[in-house]
Amino acid sequence: MARVYNWQLGREMSYWYPESRPKRQFAAVFDTNKCIACQTCTLACKTTWTSGKGQEYMLWNNVETKPYGFYPMAWDVKLLNDLGAQTWQSGAYPGRTIFEAARPGERALGWRPTDLDYTNPNLGEDDCTGRIDAGALMQLPHMSWFFYLARICNHCTYPACLASCPRGSIYKRSDDGIVLLDQSRCRGYQECVKGCPYKKVYFNPMTGTSEKCIACFPKFEMGLQPQCFVNCIGKIRLAGFISRHDQVRADNPIDYLVHVRKIALPLFPQFGLEPNVYYIPPVHVPSPFLHQLFGPGADAAVAAYRNLPNDTPLAGLLGLFGSTEQVIATWRQQGDMTMGYDEGKREVVRTPLREPVHIRAALDAARLVMRTNCP
Amino acid sequence: MTTKSLFAFVVLGPAFAGLGCRAAAPPVTPEVIAVTRQTLPTDPADRAWEDAPIHESPLLLQDLVEPRLMAASTPSVRVRAITDGTRVAFRLDWSDATVDDRPVAGAFTDACAVQVPAAAGPDVPAPQMGEASRPVEITYWRASWQAVVDGRGDTINDIHPGATVDHYPFEAASLEDKSSAQQEMALRYAPARALGNAMAGPRDRPVEDLVADGPGTLKPAATTDSTGRGRRVADGWSVVIVRRLPAGAQPGGRGQVAFAIWEGGHQEAGSRKMRTGWVILAREAGK
Repeated sequence: MARVYNWQLGREMSYWYPESRPKRQFAAVFDTNKCIACQTCTLACKTTWTSGKGQEYMLWNNVETKPYGFYPMAWDVKLLNDLGAQTWQSGAYPGRTIFEAARPGERALGWRPTDLDYTNPNLGEDDCTGRIDAGALMQLPHMSWFFYLARICNHCTYPACLASCPRGSIYKRSDDGIVLLDQSRCRGYQECVKGCPYKKVYFNPMTGTSEKCIACFPKFEMGLQPQCFVNCIGKIRLAGFISRHDQVRADNPIDYLVHVRKIALPLFPQFGLEPNVYYIPPVHVPSPFLHQLFGPGADAAVAAYRNLPNDTPLAGLLGLFGSTEQVIATWRQQGDMTMGYDEGKREVVRTPLREPVHIRAALDAARLVMRTNCP
Repeated sequence: MTTKSLFAFVVLGPAFAGLGCRAAAPPVTPEVIAVTRQTLPTDPADRAWEDAPIHESPLLLQDLVEPRLMAASTPSVRVRAITDGTRVAFRLDWSDATVDDRPVAGAFTDACAVQVPAAAGPDVPAPQMGEASRPVEITYWRASWQAVVDGRGDTINDIHPGATVDHYPFEAASLEDKSSAQQEMALRYAPARALGNAMAGPRDRPVEDLVADGPGTLKPAATTDSTGRGRRVADGWSVVIVRRLPAGAQPGGRGQVAFAIWEGGHQEAGSRKMRTGWVILAREAGK
């Protein structure tokens, strides 16, 4: 194994291949506080890419309820258990990643779901342990709270799917860091399914090959955000490029959220893949749970989010989420207005910090009719 | 009965009795001996196999390159070979308590393969999939392909009988059934098929010809000329693979062949397999 640098862990780690960062890296920020689990993202993806035979239970995008929702079944808790205790120290992770914990003969610590593990996409949906006002029916570790976790492929800097494939059928594009699975080369060994800790590679029983999220690269190459982003009802998502950890630019919206303000955090960074989908953690969830999912920066991120009414730059930038189909390369704020610009520095969107409010009288005096609030 | 046929019965009777003896217990040989017959058997149940010498090859773990197989499964494979001078038929028999022929998530299919050096000569490539500039040729059979060739349908319900499907967009009423427009749209949702990946079917034979020049380099041969037929038997599989004779396999000559077995129920696929090193493949002399 080679030694590579993982900024999310604050240290070097072992990986199957030497460090080779792409020229630019696809990245995304999801605001979990705004997700309502309407699954519009899931269907936008499914109708676009996975409506074929053998793809029936293939959800490149899914939204699950935490803590008791999983797709596939137990995808995270099983690996967390296998990996053992994970402890952070002063913002760094000295424990073992899945590459460092690989068993003999393996390239990463992993497990492979069976077909039954894919049969309940809605498992645990909206589950908490009971009505607060009625008292809990049972005692469980996570009482009376839940949140929605939308998930796509993380297009990791150190993908375990790529490392696990003995045929080199999975590659990471040097131009945008998108991780793709070559459908002409795959022979269906399912090593990638086993290796990916996020279980975002799916086996297609009809073609005998594995398939995964492609970050809607035909759109992304045109400067457009993927389908699951632009169809999001709650406007929780922003896609773009993240700079190298040592070349941060505050005018890049993803950099600002991830590196400058540190309000958006990677999912299970301790696995060691340097995932590139970043989550603004839910503000109402107990801190230990957030630590396990998002690492040691969770408390500060929650505090920053709670302070949004007093934080014009951050609040303004969050207003750009879901505001345009274009990829926003840079952003700027002027007064109450936040502007987004494309690669060519053309303004593609402008949003106010607060939407103007218009109050109309209940009676339309000119027409002598009462106004209603029907949508 | 004519005088002639009576003569034949009397004279050849002892010889047939001897053959009968051999059929019950064909010779066990330390190498694979390809006996010559005018017609090649294509079915493992063909009686032509009954007097073909048997070579029993112990199987080794593939534990040299990751991902490795760390726990042994199938202990050995019994091999017979018959050639017609142009092609060679191998019959592989091995024990396997379970039938694994459903290629679903988290499950794998039983399979076997025959490997020969691509070029003749005493300096053979490494038996582990060959090596750079010294390729090997492989013919691969798998139980899931055999099931399709034997009649299993090409729908999700043939694999998951309880599955329900709401709708496929290419089966919308607006598209004429089996029209080119419909097939074109279906291919859009089956990228491996659209790209001609031989793994993706649909299949007309249960075998595939491949070439490799080292671990991780396996790729389909330009064409698959080989044929095969696998049958489930009482204690395992019996599979015939018919392929062209290896380069330089002259009568009386000695070449190399290797075998691999995948036990699907043991999560074996790709490099996770039981395999042999090179085994001598000897052709009968003078034929």
